[in-house]
Amino acid sequence: MSSALRYYSLPLALALGIHALAVLGLYSNWKPDQQEVRAIKPQIVHSQLIVLEPKPKPQPVSKPKPVAAKPAPVVEKPKPAPEPKPVAAQPKVDQALAEAQRIEAQQRKEEAERLQRLAALADASFDQILDEETAQLEVSNDQAMAASYQAGIYQLVKANWSRPPSARNGMQAKVEVELIPTGDVVSVTIVQSSGNAAFDRSAESAVRKARRFVVPEDSSVFERHFRRFSLLFRPEDLLR
Amino acid sequence: MAEQISIFELIANASLLVQLVMALLAVASVISWMMIFQRWFYIRRIQLEVEVFEEHFWSGIDLRELYNELDGQEDLNGIESVFVSGFKEFTRLADQPGAEVDTIMQGVQRAMRVALNRQEESLETHLPFLATVGSTSPYVGLFGTVWGIMNSFRSLANMTQATLASVAPGISEALVATAMGLFAAIPAVIGYNRFSSRVEGLMKRLEAFSDELGSILQRAAHGKVGGRSATRSASTHGSAH
Repeated sequence: MSSALRYYSLPLALALGIHALAVLGLYSNWKPDQQEVRAIKPQIVHSQLIVLEPKPKPQPVSKPKPVAAKPAPVVEKPKPAPEPKPVAAQPKVDQALAEAQRIEAQQRKEEAERLQRLAALADASFDQILDEETAQLEVSNDQAMAASYQAGIYQLVKANWSRPPSARNGMQAKVEVELIPTGDVVSVTIVQSSGNAAFDRSAESAVRKARRFVVPEDSSVFERHFRRFSLLFRPEDLLR
Repeated sequence: MAEQISIFELIANASLLVQLVMALLAVASVISWMMIFQRWFYIRRIQLEVEVFEEHFWSGIDLRELYNELDGQEDLNGIESVFVSGFKEFTRLADQPGAEVDTIMQGVQRAMRVALNRQEESLETHLPFLATVGSTSPYVGLFGTVWGIMNSFRSLANMTQATLASVAPGISEALVATAMGLFAAIPAVIGYNRFSSRVEGLMKRLEAFSDELGSILQRAAHGKVGGRSATRSASTHGSAH
């Protein structure tokens, strides 16, 4: 027994040492790798959401452009503003035409003040525009997100919809759907009948069969887009 | 879970069976490394002893003297025990009256073969374990992985919205089992191949030695049966080489 201990204690210690080293290496090297991947991930998700809905995209893109162009010339204006000021502050004391000069100086002063005010206004409006822009971007983000969820809802309803044989082109039924924040359908009402009872019923049952939709967890987005929305059923396709 | 998945969290989150597989593989890895080190030290020691003994043997020392020196010792290592058992059998048989050279040599060879077998056995201990770990632990790891992936796909079936993020952790944690299996298997296979070839080389060397000793003893037996002293002729073996 003691000889076995003698023969195996050193190898055992070495083996455990190797494994401890391996575990230590994994522990210290694993994390940073993972973080890099983390940083990239959310971006991918967002871009996918925006791509899904082409509609809201042109709006934010076209709007910020003139906004970005506007502040540039406005900001440049304040530069001439300080220049007239020192000129105005040093009126020449001349006996002749003193009054005329004073009037001129006053005019200059007024102009400088006006320019200053304009510059301040430009600054304020620039900030305001920036705020508006970020707000708009947020809105468009929300819209893009909502659009992706809407696409999911349309798909689900479409999958559950079986068109009755009596459906004809040109028929359309508008259905209003009410959801609760979990995405469960609370009520389905026909707002605009197609004139064909079977068609109306099929539209209503398509929503009822879906029973539950995936909705955004953000409550403000939910309230704005999903609390109550209408679906337009047409035999050609399912449209908004 | 989405934040900072470390490998240890993966192991902690794995299902019980996968964890068992991982534990088994970790134990197998530790034991196989232990065996590798133990064999490494042991085979190196035996090789050194063989070299020292052969040098001593061929230095022209009197064989009976060498025998007397070794016979009293408690634990004889590989090559010494081959020499002692062969020479002991030779002295016993040669002392009997009317013994023929053939019977003496047969007895000597048999005794040396027994010692050789014993030596081979002790050199090859633990090698089957290494072979087993090397060949089975990838499969054990694969079993854990397949089981883990199976479970993660099964849970995927219950979800309405299937995303990569919902399966990826499960697959990742399942793959840890395969990684561990390979981690255990690769050193075991390398160790097994290396040690088995070294044992083979050592055994060839020991067999060659036992053949040489046999031929020396045969010469001595001829001399003894012819009426001369075995020790005197045996002690002249150095000049034969």
